[in-house]
Amino acid sequence: MSFWPPLVALLAASVVTQPSAPVAQERRYTIAFANLTEEAGVTLEGTGFTGREVRESFQLAARLLPVDLVLYDNRRDSKAALDNAADAIRRKVDLYIQYHHDAATNAEIGQRLRAASIPVLAINEPVPDAPLYTADNIAAGRIAGEALGAFAERAWRGHAVRAVVVGNLGARDDRVPERVQGVVDGLTRHLPAIRITRVDTQGNPARIGELLGRFVASQPGKKLLVATMDDASALAAKSALEAAGRLADGAIVGHGADRSVHGGVSDHKEIDPSNRGSIVIGSVAFYLDRYGYDVLPLALRMLRGAPVPPRTVTRHTLITAANVFIEYPPYDMQ
Amino acid sequence: MRSKCLLAAVLLVFASASVALAQSDCSKIVPPSPWGPNDQTGATNRVTPAVTKAAAAEIQEGKVVAMSYPLTDGIPLFGTRFTKSILTATSLAPGAAFGENQLTYMEDTWLSQSHVGTHLDGLGHIGRKDCYFNQIAMGKFINQNNMTKLGLEHINTFATRGVLVDMVKVFKAAGKFKGNSACKRDCLDKGTVITAADIQAGLKMYNATLREGDIVILHTGWGNLFEQFPAQNATYNSGEPGIGKDAANWLVAQKIVAVGSDTWAVEVIPGEDPKEAFIVHNILITDAGIHILENVRTDLMAAEADRTHRATFFFGMTVPKAVGLTGNFVGIEGIR
Repeated sequence: MSFWPPLVALLAASVVTQPSAPVAQERRYTIAFANLTEEAGVTLEGTGFTGREVRESFQLAARLLPVDLVLYDNRRDSKAALDNAADAIRRKVDLYIQYHHDAATNAEIGQRLRAASIPVLAINEPVPDAPLYTADNIAAGRIAGEALGAFAERAWRGHAVRAVVVGNLGARDDRVPERVQGVVDGLTRHLPAIRITRVDTQGNPARIGELLGRFVASQPGKKLLVATMDDASALAAKSALEAAGRLADGAIVGHGADRSVHGGVSDHKEIDPSNRGSIVIGSVAFYLDRYGYDVLPLALRMLRGAPVPPRTVTRHTLITAANVFIEYPPYDMQ
Repeated sequence: MRSKCLLAAVLLVFASASVALAQSDCSKIVPPSPWGPNDQTGATNRVTPAVTKAAAAEIQEGKVVAMSYPLTDGIPLFGTRFTKSILTATSLAPGAAFGENQLTYMEDTWLSQSHVGTHLDGLGHIGRKDCYFNQIAMGKFINQNNMTKLGLEHINTFATRGVLVDMVKVFKAAGKFKGNSACKRDCLDKGTVITAADIQAGLKMYNATLREGDIVILHTGWGNLFEQFPAQNATYNSGEPGIGKDAANWLVAQKIVAVGSDTWAVEVIPGEDPKEAFIVHNILITDAGIHILENVRTDLMAAEADRTHRATFFFGMTVPKAVGLTGNFVGIEGIR
């Protein structure tokens, strides 16, 4: 499935899908998707997902749609993003899907595409006057906060409980502050008087052991609700509690639900039906690996003249040991 | 009194276990078998003497084409499945022969799951919740050793006509072929969805039409990765080209007996809907009693069809009367 030539900087566009469904005489559309970045190892939206996973979701979703994809890599670079849009205009694509985090560049690209009569659909960062598909960080955070609050009400009634929010808390590009706000909203809905401490890793998850360890040591005898902003931090938080001998005092919910916390039947990862006793209760799914399945149908509705809401949000769900194999069916039954 | 209480408790535990395993109203989850409420045979009911006799007309040259891969340690296996063969050859040791005739012997211990190598998926392999083929709530019909319904012993013969559909040729002819560089011969890439229209196009290439009781064999070329075992095992298992729901439903409507392919699941992986698990297995096995044949060697028959412009053959495959098994490795030969 890997056909994106590395380091083909500019405009390495290719038509990658072909018709496979017998769509009777239905018009096929050429849709361009300019990805945020495909740089190896770079994760998106403050989760563990990569640009490759986002791109592959478009390729998989396009298989049975009357769509030929033209793929671009914006490389998190405004010049590359502008060049990609220019190439799409030359190709006269039917619709352009823009995923780039710079508002000014997006505005410029929106203007140029409008002038070329090419409709635009934006992902996560708005393009003026274009429909937006986006993660809903406040809603996601609220799901995490409510899950932790409900757990404390159910399991720790009568205990002294503290909450801690862990992660790269200042990452505005990834809207992590909104996620934090959602967590606080969700927690206080269940536990209005809960004390919430913020542990900011400033983008270095390796600090979680030290920072959280210090916090845990300062809370003897307390039960600890831990909301982490991503899955890697959830696993690190679990390790920190384990190192402090406080596993029994913790409950953790992460964000993302990427492959680091769930997998197939044989993987036995943290969120797994056979690991229902884990203190990592779950992770709020961001589904970046399914963006294509959500976004391409929106694009087709636009092209067919059907109404599309100005803002469509990801349907975030709490992934736990009880539903992980329903939300992410494994391929390795055993 | 105490023993009565103990008995009651034991009965309660068993009753609870039974309830836990059989919770669904299967009449709402799985359609009934067209062969009646007691049917455990499924689509092989279609292999009547007339069907077998008609299939025998496919034997024109007496040429036998192998359609199974070698079954040996190191072949690609799904999930955490394993194989291990152990040879017992103790009587070959000096002085260990038997009798004046110096008889010696050898035999094997074969350890593996039943769904390895070229194999058949039986009707007890795949269900929805606890509901399996013909609305059977299998929770009531399993023990720790095997199934007490839907085992391989209930299957009829597979002596019928086979029809090869060369999907590589179809996708090339349609200008939509996308291969995989790990294949040494042309193969469709993983994730390639084969539709009903694609199968119909493949049949048309050889002027073939399906008839009731046929077995359809799809050549995708992906099996070339199996042939390279163990070098390409990870790639082989990482996904596969295969049929989607549209093709599966069309094949059901053709009243066939089985679908096989040179892949490990016959259906496209990743699937069309990321939230569905092996849905084609449900459509074929659970709902229609149609068997799936996995890891079928198809390249030799594809070459034969290409050479002779005839895609039909007599399908020879025997399945052991393995009581209560969900499937088993098989040997397949196409006879022309």
